[in-house]
Amino acid sequence: MPVIEAKDIIKDFGAIRALDDVSLEVREGDFFGFFGPNGAGKTTLLRILTGQLQPSSGSVRVMGTDAVEDPIGVKELVGIVPEVESPPTYLTGYEYLYFVGKVRKLENLENRIDKWLKFFDLESKKGVICKDLSKGMRQKLMIASAFIHDPQLVFLDEPFINLDPIYQKILREFLQDYVSNGGTVFMCSHILEISERLCNRLAIVDSGRVVASGDKSALVKDGEGLEEFFLRSIGGGRKRERF
Amino acid sequence: MMLREEFRSHAAYSGKERFLTFPVFVFFLSTIVGLTLERISETVTLEELATFAHLSAFIYGLSVGAFGLMGRQYLERRYGRNNYLVTLPYLLPFSFRSAFLGIFLRDALFYVVLLLVPATIGLVVVIPVMGFSLVSILLFFVAVLATFMMGLSLSFFASVLYIRSSLLFLGLTGAVAGAFLMHLITGVPSLATLIPPLEFQMNVRPFGGDASAALASIALAIAAIVAMTCAACAAVSVHIETSSQMHPVRLPSYIARVPIIKGLSLVLVSKELVDLRRSGTVAKMFFSLVLPLLFLSFAAWFINNGLAIPVGFNTVFYAAMVGFVGILMYSWLNNIDLSEYYSLIPVTVPQLIRVRVIIFLMLTLGISAFFVVGISIINGDTDLLWLALIVMFVTSLYMAALTAYLTGLKTNTFLFDTSVLAKFSVMSFLPDVCLTILSFSLLSDWLAALVGILIVLFVMLLTTMILYRGIETKWSGFSFAAA
Repeated sequence: MPVIEAKDIIKDFGAIRALDDVSLEVREGDFFGFFGPNGAGKTTLLRILTGQLQPSSGSVRVMGTDAVEDPIGVKELVGIVPEVESPPTYLTGYEYLYFVGKVRKLENLENRIDKWLKFFDLESKKGVICKDLSKGMRQKLMIASAFIHDPQLVFLDEPFINLDPIYQKILREFLQDYVSNGGTVFMCSHILEISERLCNRLAIVDSGRVVASGDKSALVKDGEGLEEFFLRSIGGGRKRERF
Repeated sequence: MMLREEFRSHAAYSGKERFLTFPVFVFFLSTIVGLTLERISETVTLEELATFAHLSAFIYGLSVGAFGLMGRQYLERRYGRNNYLVTLPYLLPFSFRSAFLGIFLRDALFYVVLLLVPATIGLVVVIPVMGFSLVSILLFFVAVLATFMMGLSLSFFASVLYIRSSLLFLGLTGAVAGAFLMHLITGVPSLATLIPPLEFQMNVRPFGGDASAALASIALAIAAIVAMTCAACAAVSVHIETSSQMHPVRLPSYIARVPIIKGLSLVLVSKELVDLRRSGTVAKMFFSLVLPLLFLSFAAWFINNGLAIPVGFNTVFYAAMVGFVGILMYSWLNNIDLSEYYSLIPVTVPQLIRVRVIIFLMLTLGISAFFVVGISIINGDTDLLWLALIVMFVTSLYMAALTAYLTGLKTNTFLFDTSVLAKFSVMSFLPDVCLTILSFSLLSDWLAALVGILIVLFVMLLTTMILYRGIETKWSGFSFAAA
């Protein structure tokens, strides 16, 4: 059953076409990787799917909710980790999670917060305001805030960036467990080594167009890694001109 | 490059064409003033007008320079999705001193071209009609430019002191404010001593012809500008606060204590109150409300007693002004922090705008009421207090709804959009003028003035309701990055 259905999405920023007729489908239980070069349109699509941005045309349904007509409905259902870690400057880590929990009207909020602060080893920093946290700590908070309401679908934009190798591993294992327990992940990432281990389905976007999409096992040839497939899909030769 | 950056950051929201209409708007305004100068000078002398222009330029320079403080914010965090050139000394081989000097020169050039140049051209084009002297206008431009630069350099110097030491900053601002206060009360030192370019202005055409006095005062002004700018550049220091200070958890207790408001608004209001407290913005907001009110009180006192012009300033007049001035505080609320993280949770732009209107009212009504009560006691017209409090309450509500409707979450940016500025000017100016005239009429025809004031208030309340409801329609399609 599809939890994300995007059809014929076009997004123009003035004269620039960021997304050109993008369609894709993500099924329940998928770990869906969305890859592409810088500026290809990954973050733009993620923002459209999560109701943060309106498409110029096309339709989007997320868990049965129309993301164009009811973006708030989509945000109630899903969790989002943005490209840039940007929690509120003057709230402490604890307060940010409390704030998100209250906006989402969650029960047992204190227990949920404690669980996530413990998971990311942030208990000793719970009273430090976000401005004074390191990038990695802010990224951990963003991830915690995306999962605090136990969503069935999460959108992750470069979730491993800024995390140290220990927490990259912890997060990777957590996401694998999350999907094996019925959750669905839509992830944009440039870290192909990690993505290759996690994703079962993927799409590759280049210059606003989807150039490959489907099951990883069907797309990536035997003996070929995700990196080779990615470079082949976007015409890697032309991308690797030497100085 | 910094000039281009400043232009693009302003043009990013309202569009290049709309932003460029701002100097055109200033040009037309100046042309109109030029064409009506003879009529205006029948009631206000040319010297008083020139003094007013210099005071305005000085305050304009101070406020532009205060943006220099923003440099600290740029250094401490990414500003939304933008990075600024001022942060480049981290990566490239040039010093922060050079970067700050760049900001100073950028601000000087950008804001002179944005306002002073079109205003001067506006006066020049009416020369054939009004017969003004081109030399006089150019001398006026030089004098006002020097005044603007004095305000700008003083503000930059104060900004640097603020980063180095709060005590030194308070000492400097206290000394400057004290000197102006002394002038208002005793007339000494003279305004021309405090602002030397004004002395220059009064010694050149069309006000005077003492070339040596004019040269001496402009030289003094240039020396002061250079000294303050050099001192600011020499004293620039970059403090990146990487404190790991632990803060007590406040948000849950705020949510439990804020009265009346319920649901999502309660959570958002409480969060904004925590922001206000931790960012230290309350003090800045307090001064941005109290200083104009003090200035207004002294101006009224000066007109009545200093100039001996018997204008009927009463508590109702002050109450209306309080409501209009209070809007400065709303723009502060939109500058405390980025709001892009709101796009990740089920909150809409109109919900946050309405919450900021509520906070604005929570913060201002107490101070405003205190001021109005105080003025009514000092003025000895406590019999008008009931009406004054109603006027203050309605004008505050009206201005908050108007500003929120027109500018959303980016008040400072959208007020540079000429179409927004024009709507804002008309919609705030009209009721302001009506209430001012009617408040003056309270002494001569009490009943008619009262009925007039109540009608104006009723229309303002009605408009407030329409604007407040309109926030939903107008801003619902906006994302937090663009609102």
